[in-house]
Amino acid sequence: MNGFRNGERVANALPVLVLVVVALSQLLLARTQALSAWSGGGFGMFSTLDHASQRHLHAFVVRPGLRREVVAPPALAEEVARALTLPTEARLRSLAVALANTPTPDHGPPTGLQIQVWNTRFDPATLTPASHILREFLLPLDEEK
Amino acid sequence: MSGPWQRWPELDPLDLVLRLTLLDLVLRPVGDWALRFPILGLAAAGLLLPAFLRRRELWAALALLTGLRVALSWPLPDNHAYLLCYWCLAIALSRFARDGGRVLAINGRWLLALLFGFATLWKLLSPDFADATFFRVTLLLDPRFEGFTRLVGGLSIEQIDAARAALERHADGGWLAPVAATRPSARFEVLARATTLWTVAIEAAVTIAFCWPKDRGPSRLRDPLLIAFCVTTYAVATVDGFGWLLIAMGLAQCAAEQTRTRVAYLATYALILFYREVDWIERLANLVDRT
Repeated sequence: MNGFRNGERVANALPVLVLVVVALSQLLLARTQALSAWSGGGFGMFSTLDHASQRHLHAFVVRPGLRREVVAPPALAEEVARALTLPTEARLRSLAVALANTPTPDHGPPTGLQIQVWNTRFDPATLTPASHILREFLLPLDEEK
Repeated sequence: MSGPWQRWPELDPLDLVLRLTLLDLVLRPVGDWALRFPILGLAAAGLLLPAFLRRRELWAALALLTGLRVALSWPLPDNHAYLLCYWCLAIALSRFARDGGRVLAINGRWLLALLFGFATLWKLLSPDFADATFFRVTLLLDPRFEGFTRLVGGLSIEQIDAARAALERHADGGWLAPVAATRPSARFEVLARATTLWTVAIEAAVTIAFCWPKDRGPSRLRDPLLIAFCVTTYAVATVDGFGWLLIAMGLAQCAAEQTRTRVAYLATYALILFYREVDWIERLANLVDRT
């Protein structure tokens, strides 16, 4: 009977327990995997300027002696948004694979696809914006083949 | 004299919480088209059909659909998406419980305590919030704050545009010279610092009040503090769906005899709708500009 009541209590407290687990995981991901504090269910909105809209991404097709920037097509907009919000290696790799066949005017087989995620920080005294690399990933294309 | 106001105390407090939650879903539809349609349909059915309002199937389905919305678009959803899912789950569980009102009251109280606790923690952990850089930039860059910045910060549209241009300059790996436009006036600096202090103070106060044991010390201020947070915050930052959820939770943890408090919560719910529908702060700023 007591076991049943305890089980009922735990079930009734489920929303609160889930909130705590999700919010603690979000804190951990923000500290270790650069998850934006605005996302992930940790209630960090309006606490920092480091939200996805203050982050941007550059992708480069790499050839020996040459690095050409490519723009992600609109079809990959959601993938890009996910990579900006939580730039894990797996997510950047998946985006790099999706961009690997983007045509460029250069000759010769590409050797890699590089992705950089940048965020903008503002000087506390002057508010001058400055961009910093948050995460960087290079997909060797030979390895993929 | 008889009328709806005299019959107000007869309105079931639990039904009011459920209706306001469903109204939130109708006024601020969530999810992409595939989820939006069933969520909106269920919410409308619950509102229009009294027999449906307390049905556990309705709330279990809403908890499932709002949870799916979070899971399918993770990590992109904002706080509102998570809170909506937790709250629908709390209501669904209360519909299965023997003392549903109590289960909902406990969940309402602790969800509020914890979400404000984590929000306060994030603000204390973020260096750009603590030194007021967050509001100094946000008040200039975020269009939702433009009316407030003009009215209270005393800046003109031209000053805000110049500051935006300076703040949005882009030089990856390079260096940009400081521009005077990003420090528009001493009054604006005071506003940014006051907004920072007020935000963290009111959120910390709500956390303490909701964590404190009921009917003792600061816990007596739970409702006024939560209402003060909603009245002040959503006047400036129009995040209406989130505000309406906070009110539904606040109402759920109210004792049945707190009729006046429930009226105050309901008035705040209406006020947030007014904030959303009427750009009063912009109109006031325009009026001040003209005089």
